[in-house]
Amino acid sequence: MATETEGGCQDSADKHIVVSGKLIDELEGLCEEDVFGCYQCGTCAAGCPFMDEMDLTVDEVLRYVILDKKEVLESKTIWLCASCFACAERCPRDINITKIMEALRQIVLRQNIDETDLECLTDEEKRSIPQMAFVSLFRKNIG
Amino acid sequence: MSDPVGAVLVVGGGIGGIQSALDLADAGFKVYMVEDKPAIGGAMAQLDKTFPTNDCSLCILSPKLVDVGRHPNIELMTNSSVTAIDGKAGDFTVKITERARRVTEACVGCNLCAEACVLKGRLRNEFDEELKERSAIYIPYPQAVPLRYVVDPVNCLQVKTGKCAMKCVEACPANAIDFDMQDIERTVEVGSIVMAPGFEGFHAEAKGEYGYGRFDNVVTSLEFERILSASGPYEGHVLRPSDGKEPKRIAWINCVGSRDRSCGNEYCSSVCCTYSIKEAIIAKEHSGSVEPTIFYMDMRTHGKGFESYLNRAEDQHGIRFIRSRISEVQETPGKDLRIRYESEEGALREETFDMVVLSIGLEPGEGVKDLAETAGISLDDFGFCETEETRPMETDVPGVFVCGAFSGPKDIPETVMEASGAAAKAGAMISSGRGTLVEEREFVPERDVSGEEPRIGVYVCHCGINIGAYVDVPAVVEYARGLPNVVHAEENIYSCSQDAQHTLIDRIKEHGLNRVLVASCTPRTHEPLFQETLREAGLNAHLFEMANIRDQCSWVHMDDKATATEKAQDLVRMSVARAAHIEPLEELSLDVIQHGLVIGGGLAGMTAALALADQGFGVSLVEQEDALGGNMRNIHYTLDNDNVQEYLGSLVDRIGESDIIDVHLNAKVSEIGGFVGNFESVIDTPDGPERVEHGAIIVATGAVESAPAEYLFGEDERVISQTELERRIAEGEPVGRTVAMIQCVGSRDESHTYCSRVCCSDAIKNAIRIKETDPSAQVYILYRDMRTYGLKESHYGRARELGVVFVRFDLDGKPAVDTDGDALTVKVKEKILGEELFIEADIVALAPAIEPRPDRVDLAKMLKVPLNEDGFFLEAHVKLRPVDFATDGVFLAGMAHSPKTMEESIAQAYAAAARASTLLAKGEVRVNPAIADITEEMCIGCGLCVTNCPFKAMELVLKEGGRKAQVIPASCKGCGVCGASCPKLAITMKHFTNEEITAQIEAYRGVA
Repeated sequence: MATETEGGCQDSADKHIVVSGKLIDELEGLCEEDVFGCYQCGTCAAGCPFMDEMDLTVDEVLRYVILDKKEVLESKTIWLCASCFACAERCPRDINITKIMEALRQIVLRQNIDETDLECLTDEEKRSIPQMAFVSLFRKNIG
Repeated sequence: MSDPVGAVLVVGGGIGGIQSALDLADAGFKVYMVEDKPAIGGAMAQLDKTFPTNDCSLCILSPKLVDVGRHPNIELMTNSSVTAIDGKAGDFTVKITERARRVTEACVGCNLCAEACVLKGRLRNEFDEELKERSAIYIPYPQAVPLRYVVDPVNCLQVKTGKCAMKCVEACPANAIDFDMQDIERTVEVGSIVMAPGFEGFHAEAKGEYGYGRFDNVVTSLEFERILSASGPYEGHVLRPSDGKEPKRIAWINCVGSRDRSCGNEYCSSVCCTYSIKEAIIAKEHSGSVEPTIFYMDMRTHGKGFESYLNRAEDQHGIRFIRSRISEVQETPGKDLRIRYESEEGALREETFDMVVLSIGLEPGEGVKDLAETAGISLDDFGFCETEETRPMETDVPGVFVCGAFSGPKDIPETVMEASGAAAKAGAMISSGRGTLVEEREFVPERDVSGEEPRIGVYVCHCGINIGAYVDVPAVVEYARGLPNVVHAEENIYSCSQDAQHTLIDRIKEHGLNRVLVASCTPRTHEPLFQETLREAGLNAHLFEMANIRDQCSWVHMDDKATATEKAQDLVRMSVARAAHIEPLEELSLDVIQHGLVIGGGLAGMTAALALADQGFGVSLVEQEDALGGNMRNIHYTLDNDNVQEYLGSLVDRIGESDIIDVHLNAKVSEIGGFVGNFESVIDTPDGPERVEHGAIIVATGAVESAPAEYLFGEDERVISQTELERRIAEGEPVGRTVAMIQCVGSRDESHTYCSRVCCSDAIKNAIRIKETDPSAQVYILYRDMRTYGLKESHYGRARELGVVFVRFDLDGKPAVDTDGDALTVKVKEKILGEELFIEADIVALAPAIEPRPDRVDLAKMLKVPLNEDGFFLEAHVKLRPVDFATDGVFLAGMAHSPKTMEESIAQAYAAAARASTLLAKGEVRVNPAIADITEEMCIGCGLCVTNCPFKAMELVLKEGGRKAQVIPASCKGCGVCGASCPKLAITMKHFTNEEITAQIEAYRGVA
């Protein structure tokens, strides 16, 4: 669950994510979304454009939080989230899941662990990745 | 205070308004019914079939429409709305605007105007959900009441521009079209008001991701009802709109506009799960190659008989159920529809369907806001009428009552119960005005036909296309004309429509008919309707005969029209032969003892007793235990009510204060004799047996909580029932830091196949209490489907938000409760993550099934009433007669009917009281004269008939020639068992004499 390393670029998997209390408490400090309100109906997952690439489905991420399973912070899903808001838009419980994804990323980022090192992007990647993807990537990095 | 006005305003002409109006009008009140649309019938008229019996919806509704149309005490105002309500309970002044119809009462409903209209076929009929065309002058549907056309003022060229050739006026043979007609303002005085404006379907365009309105083959469930209907756009063939091809793969998406905060409808619409099952079953019945898939969140089949309906859908009809909410629907270039969904195990799948049906939810509708404002009644956050749990039919304005989906989503039987209940309330409030404003039904004097040669009129019904598409109706009519004694024969599109009744009366007079044969559907639903018409024409009601050429002919020979027509002709020939022998029968009228017996002193029994007493009738209330209250004694609070015991106390006090309610505690009914209006029963009391005479019986014996046989219940004292948990919470006892609740303990499994309906809400209410008292407590609810239907859904959402953890399991993956040293553990497969979840619990609370009382079998035998497959009492008709028994004079309320909430028990108790009081108020009861008849000289007094009679309608009496059998007319159902068992052939069945039946059989063998 980390990026490929190249040259002097660091592997984020070396750093361990530590959350001492309950994940939900940490999360609630970062976003006011009601994770427990989730019905686990699967709408978010079915509508997610990146679902095929994700290791955990979107609703599984919420379930991990509800059951206080901190491994969720090491999942690929939270980083693959493109912040497109499709899940938030269609959630029947009106939960802004995009915000929850962002908050989960923040928990990781605040421990100075980053999934993507911008400086390590290759020229080929910079050429081929759509601009929108960069925008959302920066958004993730600057919170 | 002056006497209240003995009239009631009923707003809304759907099934709720209809039931209220008929109950009130029959009980002696004048009723003004106001309906916004041009015809009554409401949503039920649009449905193809009804769950869970798959009865044809309009077929069971249509006789009630006609009853409303011709009831002398009901004044029907369609195309009308209420504009002002002033005054107070007992004396309201109501202003009503009747919008210009531009068609007068002279209209005969012939359709020539619609045929002539220049806009014919260019407008869309709202009744058919705009899937079918209409003209600018039209009727919504063929069986509409009133059968009076209406000009669509928005589209009619003459109304809009004043420039039209007015071909309609030219075409009308009755000169019924009047473009000068103006809106009429009317003022009526009423004592009370029943609000029954119903619901609107959710506007599916608002969920743009499902493509409704953009993709041709995405339809709403209400549109699909019309597609299924024989009178719908495709004449009952299941076709998809884009290309008229038969769809194979059809997907239903449930919860569209329900359980969805994003569109403001957080509530559950209660009926969609079951109606989607119904639509899938019917679609498959129409075309065996259809492959239905239903996408759902929780399967909510909580109603009586619904769970076995679900099981049949899955096991017998092969309907596929997928637990997943759909995010979006995409259209392919071929107009197929692609759906991507996540399986419960977390796998992403994509499938293509030929057609998608959106199971749209129920909304209060825009119009009711104005209505509520006019009446000054409060609406809740969703726009439904606000009511209290203990007063389900009362608005916050005294004298204004409510029933049906206006106070929250509900199905037809619940609506009918509330409608009768609202009628009881509205009637009780103005009971001293009873009979002051009504007209006695004028009976046309009966023509004496004795000595006349039979003159038979034959009516052959098309039943839309139900018969007409498979039987050559004109050929049957032609054939009938040639049969002996037939002096007139004709065809009808719908013989049961209101205009057909008028024609029938005219023809009877015109041709001097003295026997009438209708070849159509079944006497079970339609005989009373035609008999009433005969009465109006001055003929004895029993000079009527029916041939069933639909259920027994066109429906079973759809693939062979020639044979179907031949069989219809055989059936008509046989019935004509019988009709020649039928005789007029005299109806008996018996006095009614104006006193009720209520069996069971729980919430339903107490409520019913009080409701009867409020209408002025004496009541004997029998309770087996030493105190009133039943199961309610164990309920401390509900989701909406903090103090149930206080309410129970007030009921007990009111009963104690009543001079006309006679309470028998520690007592049991040991004997029930007599018949409707004249029962005589024995109550075993601690002071010895007591005889009571009464006219009606209300069965309110309740149900019991079963004893769980699993999950260490009874072995480990930390495993308790939800009832015990509730007691501990209510009494402030500690319940521990971790509580695990397990649902469906004995429900929806092999021990009780049905759903116990209330347990999900019970678990939620207790979980909320625990979390509110101690937010750090851990509460787990292990469930199969969370069935917090209707407005209870918001409490479910709240429980989730308070941090209650919900874990779903299936019947084949039940949780395991164990002890590990001192620890009590619950192990369950967490389906979303696919892992075992361990819970170390302080308390495990089980939700035991609610089961019928063990002693209900004896009572059922005593009353001669049936039980259903689950052991609960079986009502006369699950949709339209939910509180009546098939046995006259006996009514049903509360959990003896099926598990239900307090609110539902209260509504049903009022309904049972309303039905009983229409009987008691009349003071007399008419008895069906088609009963057993004994030729006394032939009777040898052997008593076989007495032993065999299932209705206790035979007795032996000592007469001059010895012991002789004697019929108790009011008890006899005319079933014929006695006649079949009589060794001396001394018993004949009136209206089914040997002569009549033999003639019918002879006619089958050859032309009579």
